[in-house]
Amino acid sequence: MNFKKKEVGDEIPTSSMADIAFLLIIYFMLTTTFAATRGLDFALPEDDDSPPVIEPEDSVLVEILPGGDLLVDAKPMRVEEILDYLKPKLDNNPKKPVIIKPDPTAPYGAMVNVFDELRQGKEKIDHEVNVSIPTQREIDRFWL
Amino acid sequence: MKMHASKAAPPVIPTASMADIAFLLIIFFMLTFTLEVDRTQVTLPRTELRFEVPKKAAYISVTEQGVIRASDGERQSTVIPEQDVLSFAAEVVAIQPDKEFALKADGAVPYKYIDTIMDSLKQANVRVIYLLSQAETVDQ
Repeated sequence: MNFKKKEVGDEIPTSSMADIAFLLIIYFMLTTTFAATRGLDFALPEDDDSPPVIEPEDSVLVEILPGGDLLVDAKPMRVEEILDYLKPKLDNNPKKPVIIKPDPTAPYGAMVNVFDELRQGKEKIDHEVNVSIPTQREIDRFWL
Repeated sequence: MKMHASKAAPPVIPTASMADIAFLLIIFFMLTFTLEVDRTQVTLPRTELRFEVPKKAAYISVTEQGVIRASDGERQSTVIPEQDVLSFAAEVVAIQPDKEFALKADGAVPYKYIDTIMDSLKQANVRVIYLLSQAETVDQ
């Protein structure tokens, strides 16, 4: 019998490579998200059974009321006025702690606004503000 | 003078470099690709300062209604009850003690939910949390 051998070409078939490549591109384009994750960093203190006791008169207390209004050392104040109020106090004592105490029903956004403003102390009043946000459990246990 | 008839160019679109371009695009997307582990829809509070959250950070999200979802940064987030945040965070920290956490909470959520979460994270010895926010523009 006479068998004819078909000649096999020595080329890698690449005609579908572009199709595969574009399918991969479409997948990555649909699933990629760009830098949507940014925010304010906050270093948590270690959970300690005996934290340093701070007398209320040694600190500045920023209370956030249920509607989001502020009381700074029991005086009504707007967010943008806090750093001006703090400046003379921090000139005297740069380590003076500022305690943020939001009401349980206050909107979280109001706390973030205050924290954002205080974090800008270095740029606005040339003092890094020592911010503390105690939790309700800590307040119940250690508040003087 | 003898004029030669102009040669007709074959109507072909050159596609030889298309695969190269496609693979360059693939490499770009592969390098910038991060899988979104939490797709909870919330209205984030606005801040002027914003820092990039490290990749693979653990996520805790809170909707306006107080529904809490958590993800260890590797798997998709799942709904967990408020009292389980501590055990979730402790498990994550036990595996990776310096793991960062991102708190993705709606700006209108009552602070009591955030207080409970922050307290749980403190007890689990989480060191740094990121309060996710959106950019505050000048006219706001």
